[in-house]
Amino acid sequence: MRAVVLERNRLVGRRIARHVAAIGGTATVIEDPAQLAGAVGDATLVCADVFDGDLVATVVTARPGLRAVLWTAEPLRRGLRHLAECPAIGHVLGRKDFDSPPRPWELGLVLRRLRSPAAPPPSLTAYLDWGHAGFELAVTSPGERDAAVARVQAFVGELHVPRRLAEIAGELTHELLMNALYDAPVDDAGRPRHAHDRKAAIALPPGDAATLRVGSDGTRLAVQVRDRFGGLRRAHVVEGLARGLAGGELDRSHGGAGLGLTVCHQSSLALFFDLAAGRQTLVTATLDLDLNLRELKTHARSLHVWEA
Amino acid sequence: MDVAGAPQSSQSPLAIDRFADGRLTCLKLAGTIDESFDGKRLAATVDAATLVLDVGEIRKISSFGIREWVDFIGAIAARGVAIYLVECAPKVVDQLNMVANFAGPGRVYSFYLPYHCDYCDRDDRVLWQVDRHHDSIRAGKPPQRACGHCGELQYFNEDPVTYLSYLAAQDRFELPDDVAAFVATRLAYGVGDAGRKLKVDKLVDGRITFLRLHGDLDGGFPRDKLAEGLEGTIAVDVATVGAIDPAGAAAWRGLVQQITPVIDALYLIAVGPGFLDKLTRPDDLGPKGAVLSLTLPYACAACRTTTGQLLDVDEHHGLFVVAATPNRRCPTCQGPLVCVAPEPALAHIAGLPRPNLPPPLRAAIAGLVERRPAPKRAAEVAGPAMPVAVRGGFGVAFVAALAAVALAAVVFVGYRMLGDRSVTLPPGRGRLVEASAPTRPAWITSDRALAAACTTTDADVTCVGVSGPEVSEDEALEVAGDAALDALAAAIADRIPDERWRSAVASQWTAARQAKLEAADREPPSLAARREVRDLRHAVVRALRASAPALPAVPTASHWERYQAQAGLQVTGFAAYTVDRATIDKLAAAYATPATALGVEAVSAFPLLVWRHPALTGGAVVLDVGDGPLRGRGLIAGAVVSEIGGRDIVDGPGLTAQLTAEHARLTQSGGTLTVEVQGGDGAPQLFEVPVAQAKPDREVKPGGRGPGGGGPPGGPGTGNVNVWDRYGGGGPPRDDPRQ
Repeated sequence: MRAVVLERNRLVGRRIARHVAAIGGTATVIEDPAQLAGAVGDATLVCADVFDGDLVATVVTARPGLRAVLWTAEPLRRGLRHLAECPAIGHVLGRKDFDSPPRPWELGLVLRRLRSPAAPPPSLTAYLDWGHAGFELAVTSPGERDAAVARVQAFVGELHVPRRLAEIAGELTHELLMNALYDAPVDDAGRPRHAHDRKAAIALPPGDAATLRVGSDGTRLAVQVRDRFGGLRRAHVVEGLARGLAGGELDRSHGGAGLGLTVCHQSSLALFFDLAAGRQTLVTATLDLDLNLRELKTHARSLHVWEA
Repeated sequence: MDVAGAPQSSQSPLAIDRFADGRLTCLKLAGTIDESFDGKRLAATVDAATLVLDVGEIRKISSFGIREWVDFIGAIAARGVAIYLVECAPKVVDQLNMVANFAGPGRVYSFYLPYHCDYCDRDDRVLWQVDRHHDSIRAGKPPQRACGHCGELQYFNEDPVTYLSYLAAQDRFELPDDVAAFVATRLAYGVGDAGRKLKVDKLVDGRITFLRLHGDLDGGFPRDKLAEGLEGTIAVDVATVGAIDPAGAAAWRGLVQQITPVIDALYLIAVGPGFLDKLTRPDDLGPKGAVLSLTLPYACAACRTTTGQLLDVDEHHGLFVVAATPNRRCPTCQGPLVCVAPEPALAHIAGLPRPNLPPPLRAAIAGLVERRPAPKRAAEVAGPAMPVAVRGGFGVAFVAALAAVALAAVVFVGYRMLGDRSVTLPPGRGRLVEASAPTRPAWITSDRALAAACTTTDADVTCVGVSGPEVSEDEALEVAGDAALDALAAAIADRIPDERWRSAVASQWTAARQAKLEAADREPPSLAARREVRDLRHAVVRALRASAPALPAVPTASHWERYQAQAGLQVTGFAAYTVDRATIDKLAAAYATPATALGVEAVSAFPLLVWRHPALTGGAVVLDVGDGPLRGRGLIAGAVVSEIGGRDIVDGPGLTAQLTAEHARLTQSGGTLTVEVQGGDGAPQLFEVPVAQAKPDREVKPGGRGPGGGGPPGGPGTGNVNVWDRYGGGGPPRDDPRQ
């Protein structure tokens, strides 16, 4: 893999190049956007701040096979436009400020996956340091959903973090499971089974159960929910978030409020969508446990969309 | 500013309480708004011109809950109902900021700011009002503040710009007069200073002058201006008088004194809790003053609605003098309403003089009340906002305000009710006019009100109880029987020598019981204290009979005497219960024998615990917490457990059985074991103990689907998994300690 890193802060650029090198790739660091087109050459990846997103989109659109990763210290809303308009851009990484690189673990994870795009999505362990603790549950009904949410809150509560963080983790889990239980299941004809009635006391067959995995390494919390239906598409993600972040307009067309993704976005620092149409939807959300509530609310968030 | 501890539970369902006053309705929502919330259905039950929504205890709103909420607001707004949101919890403020039209046309009047103290890891909330704190909201800079616990600085635990964005965009406004009066006088919410500035409407009709006071009664009360020219009959509507400070109370008393010589009579109309408390004692009313009507809180259990009921003093004076209230029906469901005014308030009302208003005058005043000017919006705000301590406690405040009413006045009431000391036989009771037997039985050795005593022989224990002055024989004998059985319970407790039991169980009620009995025995008698003792004894007897069916169902002996007292005919009852020693010893052994499960040793709750925990109807008391899942979880010896896993605990064996069953259930599925413990003087406490699944969870395959693949199996020992992280898209494994 050869990457071109467009970053005005030289120190940040070097650190990103180091991560590229750490996965066996090479990186060219440039500080001037005018150099980008000339530096691309045989690169397979372009990395830059959302501020230069338009330029990056132009370059990657002109070069099929070239992919891009953006980062930002600002709210995600601006970066969403690039994900909506440019299929080659699938990642926006949040960073603390303009003098900081994206979170190293997250950058490394993205670069590794970009290096091996055909590999299946990683399990929960990839989002946490080794030796973490966690659990996995199969969820088929609202009752099991509520029990799972309670267990997540209890699990996070045991981590000696502010109580509010445990509540946020519970809300996040609730939303992800609601999507997996009510939005995802479709019949053989592809028609939604339960989306029209979110109050229904459903009971999914074991084979259709949503899988919840939760883990923490003491620094991060990762919540992952998988459904076997694979109904979620990149457009749903981007448009849902864009609508929610733009003004919170409700979208009742799918039976719900259309704000679930926005709630997930507000309740996490990074959202990872692994979308395999008709096979599975795997959503992973991470939270940094060392942040207080105010930092959590103000920190730039990440969004990653992988399509099989 | 109001500061309140942050709500504790995060999983409670949505509870909705309703308070209504005419066309004003307030809904207090607490808990979670999710898919189970039916917004349109709730909206259909609201029949009001103005809806106040108290959302201070909302802890969670799911995305589908947002949809239901928006439907609720939309349905209400479609009917032209004015909507005000008060005490918005941070979770609600988040939604206001995020969701378009979350409040619809409603306006946010007050909201909480979340603060956090890192030092003691404590969350606090500070209440702001849009009129009082408008400039601070616009500035977007909530100040730091000192933690109430450790004194270190607490910080505003949100992004101020984001958090205040919706509120900053909202125009400054004050609540309309009628709404402000409703929330301030009926519900004890905080409202803006300017919005409560006293205003006076005046109507004159011949010899009758009608005044309507609206706002707070403070040092600015225009006593001299108001007194000018007053003569004849004065009727004052004080329904919307809010806070009364000492200077305002003094000014009002001065007005009454000033006008008393020149007027015929002074009648107060629609007296609310605050006014009743501070300004309706004899000295306050003066020789020509009387309360024509007052407002008491009534609750409908079916509708979960509390309404203020206007009661005419003349019409109900016969009930008021015995501290009783008239029956009312719920206007919504026609079910019975229950007066929820506290005993001290009822005792205070018992002392109100009868107005004896001539019918023509009553009709004339009623006509003036009807003609009173319609409520107006408050004047524009002037002057800087002032931080004034106001508590937005709700509903309870309505009752609590009345609770405070009569505390100071109760001595006077007691004197009126019981204080006729001019007659003899026996002293203080009045003239004996009738009795159940020509001579008082020999087993009665005392006739002191509410006294009780036991005598023990080798064969049995006999306890005798005495009632206070009651209105009927039945009531007197019931009160006397309760006193005797309460004493019998104490005799049973005395037969339990176990030190652990005495330390964990008996020590809980001893001081409380003694203090309350002494308070009821003081001279002059306190009606409130006596009523409290009667009620607590009744609750003790209920618990005793539930746990000790071997006791006699009726008294062994009884007697009553009727007296003609100044307050009317009163009856004193006497009751005796004799129980053999073997039964007493057997009961003592049963109460003291512990049962054990999961390391928790517990005995059945002893009936006398009611003196400390008035709401107790059963339960079990923890004697010891040994090795087991509950050790170190805050559960201690003496804790009175009332629920486990949401199920009521009846007694000690019930506790161990439910504890075992619930733990076994959770061991299968994983979850949280909840234990509800009665708080000594407050709400129950909830202990939550996570219980891991006994069998290992399905293992998270380390890198099983990941690019790295493979890896050693995890070894869950605690229900969680402990795994190695291996991934890397076919490259070298990362952080693998085997490498």
